[in-house]
Amino acid sequence: MALLAAEPGLADAPPEPAGYRMGDYRAPTPATLSGALVVSVEEAAALWRDGAIFIDVMPRPPRPANLPPDTLWRSPPRDSVPGAVWLANTGFGDLAPESEAYFRSRLDAQLRARPGRAVVFFCLRDCWMSWNAAKRAIALGYRGVHWFPDGTDGWLRAGLPLAPIEPAP
Amino acid sequence: MRNALLAAAVVICGIVPAAAQDEAAWTEIRANLAGTRPIEDGAGAIILEAPTRAEDAALVPITVRLTGTGDARVRRLTLVVDENPAPIVSTFELTGVSGDFSLSTRIRVNSYSFVRALAETEGGRLVMVKSYVKAAGGCSAPAAKDPVEAKAHLGEMRFRVFANRGEAQVQVRHPNYSGLQMDQLTRHYTPAWYVERLEVRQGETPLFSMTGGISLSEDPTIRFTYAAGGAPVTVEAKDTQGSVFRKAFPAAGS
Repeated sequence: MALLAAEPGLADAPPEPAGYRMGDYRAPTPATLSGALVVSVEEAAALWRDGAIFIDVMPRPPRPANLPPDTLWRSPPRDSVPGAVWLANTGFGDLAPESEAYFRSRLDAQLRARPGRAVVFFCLRDCWMSWNAAKRAIALGYRGVHWFPDGTDGWLRAGLPLAPIEPAP
Repeated sequence: MRNALLAAAVVICGIVPAAAQDEAAWTEIRANLAGTRPIEDGAGAIILEAPTRAEDAALVPITVRLTGTGDARVRRLTLVVDENPAPIVSTFELTGVSGDFSLSTRIRVNSYSFVRALAETEGGRLVMVKSYVKAAGGCSAPAAKDPVEAKAHLGEMRFRVFANRGEAQVQVRHPNYSGLQMDQLTRHYTPAWYVERLEVRQGETPLFSMTGGISLSEDPTIRFTYAAGGAPVTVEAKDTQGSVFRKAFPAAGS
């Protein structure tokens, strides 16, 4: 039973596509990502203890600019891997130039501060956004890219701590 | 065997959503909606029909039946989806409505969430029921209709009467963009653009009016208790760009 919970639908894992996933992001992900190291919860935890850079790409739409000011708006809270950097909305299949620039500049800043560290991309289990983001990082020439498909779901289930996080400005 | 495995997986996965059935979001929403006023349990007074698991998170059917507030007539009905970024879906002013009344619409549900119907009586009592709906991505799901088609039919209205059921249905063609939908071409969020006000009256008598939001599905559709016959029914809608759409229908529908 526990094994089932840790690895749901492995048998359903689709083959790795050539390009980015463009929609229907909450679905079983491939078992592989060409050019990246795919890490389990245990491996991710070891990387975390070792000071790796964790990049959370869980989407969180900004409040629409033209929403009336009295409309109640509540951004869903997010608990993530402690110390992670949240680059919200960078896991879509196609990014506007500003979004890609944001993705690059925040990654660069992290790597300047912590040179040579592994970079671990994640969101939730069965979410293609982390797969897309890791793929994009590889395409942009970043090295040491790790993909942690179980994300915060697997992290929580493994009894590891989570902490509230806000998107990186 | 495969079904057995699936069933096991569902049970295990069920643990997390169950734990997520908390009231944290509601605590914030309640403060905005009702302040510190007491809210009564609406069991027996209101029935909320919502699917436990929605087939399409962008089109989740919701029915509210007012059944037993006794002499206290309901003047306002608010639909809430706790976990939506814009949790207050719409507020219906039920002026001129008394007795048993039911109202159905279609809403967007962005993640597993409580859906609530909060009724306010003419005397100012608040009565609420809730139901848990498993659906995800309803607010950000791409529009079902392409933008060109949506614009071509913008503001078209339908008024259908189901006399044998004592109901009528109003529909306004409008994309009701949530502001959370990614435009596949520009790769930016499509700006919010939705029906913010809907008024339905028969002759000069208001049947109901609605203040809408981005959590209401595209082509807003309201079905409500209605006795056919009498003066023509006028439907007037106003969207967030200030466009006004108005049409009168025979009382027996069209």
